Amino acid sequence: MKIIKKIKIVIAGPFAAGKTQFINTVSEIKTVKTERRTQALEEKSVKDYTTVAMDFGKIRIDEEHELYLFGTPGQSRFDFMWEILGEGALGIIILVDSTDPSTFHEARKIINFFQSRFPVPMVVGANKQDLPNAWSAEDVATALDIAEDEGIAVLPVSAVDKESVKRALLTLLNIIREELTSQG
Amino acid sequence: MALTGDLKTFNFVDILQIISKDKKSGILLVEWKDITVAYYVKDGQIIFARPVDRVFRVYAERDFDLLIEKLRISKENLFRTIERFLIERLDLKEGVFSFTPGFVKFGSNNYRILYPVEKIIMMASRGLTYEEVERKISDELLVFEPLEGVNDVLEKAELTPEEKKVLNLVDGERTVYDIRKDSGLDNLKVDRALYGLLAVGAIKRKKKEKKQSPSIALDLLMKIIERIKGL
Repeated sequence: MKIIKKIKIVIAGPFAAGKTQFINTVSEIKTVKTERRTQALEEKSVKDYTTVAMDFGKIRIDEEHELYLFGTPGQSRFDFMWEILGEGALGIIILVDSTDPSTFHEARKIINFFQSRFPVPMVVGANKQDLPNAWSAEDVATALDIAEDEGIAVLPVSAVDKESVKRALLTLLNIIREELTSQG
Repeated sequence: MALTGDLKTFNFVDILQIISKDKKSGILLVEWKDITVAYYVKDGQIIFARPVDRVFRVYAERDFDLLIEKLRISKENLFRTIERFLIERLDLKEGVFSFTPGFVKFGSNNYRILYPVEKIIMMASRGLTYEEVERKISDELLVFEPLEGVNDVLEKAELTPEEKKVLNLVDGERTVYDIRKDSGLDNLKVDRALYGLLAVGAIKRKKKEKKQSPSIALDLLMKIIERIKGL
């Protein structure tokens, strides 16, 4: 039996940023979820269930390789899982709910967390652009204090739209390609 | 597209940082607990403020010069409305905001600006709580570096001697912990200064130099790219 090699991309971001939806949209398998009912009152008002360990979706590349998309839990009380999931990741996509500026500071902390521990290519998806009160990707970048020379692309994303999710993944993969080719 | 939020979680320093970054123009409406105030923003500067009883009026009266004429306010005295309806309220933390770009037609350029946005940002940063500064200065190992060519910004910001001291210690090497220690200032004062300096664009987070090389072969990566394209 052939051993399938796994390639990992991590999808991180604050609570209710749309990580599970992002994975669902492109995964070839039904996303494996580890959800529990939300307990905290402020979380309950946003959604009934939340990821507590990880979500994962899968895309078959060829007979020997599969691309795994791992979604981290959003709440910082589960940050031990971020550490575990970040290990060996090819790249990281940080999703931000563009309609909810109260989560922007948390998003920046998550960026800092992954930058300091796993300095791999990263892109930020300013998600929920399909909603009317979404902040533009440029304004989200300013709110997150992402300097132009920081090397983090901030893209408009709608996790319910397959083309938009593909665009975010391709942006990350092309950054990785550039890094590979620049190394010779 | 309107930018909306709650002052409890996105304070005035944050809002003004967004507005000033791309020199936006439009109307910032803040529903404070007691009154609703419309702030008129031109090229990233707040030039006028007025309380409004009915919000639709703000959007009906689009000609700014006509409006201030109607309200009998001279261009020289616009700053007084900023003092009364903004400066005095910078420490209030309860309210919701929405910024709508465009809408207002500003006539001339000679509106007197006594409170440049950089100055207001620094004033607002001086009233931030521990909880608020922790949102950006979240780690004492963070390193900031000064930006070049920001003399104009710093002049407008009118830094206090303590803020200048903090700025002088930002060198791309010292961590937040070092700056706190070397300045001899109270931690909260240092963090407030860093928060404000970050918002006016005088400093930035230092880019991580250490990068992990991608652990994948180029041909496999190209295969993944083609696979994603084909989904």
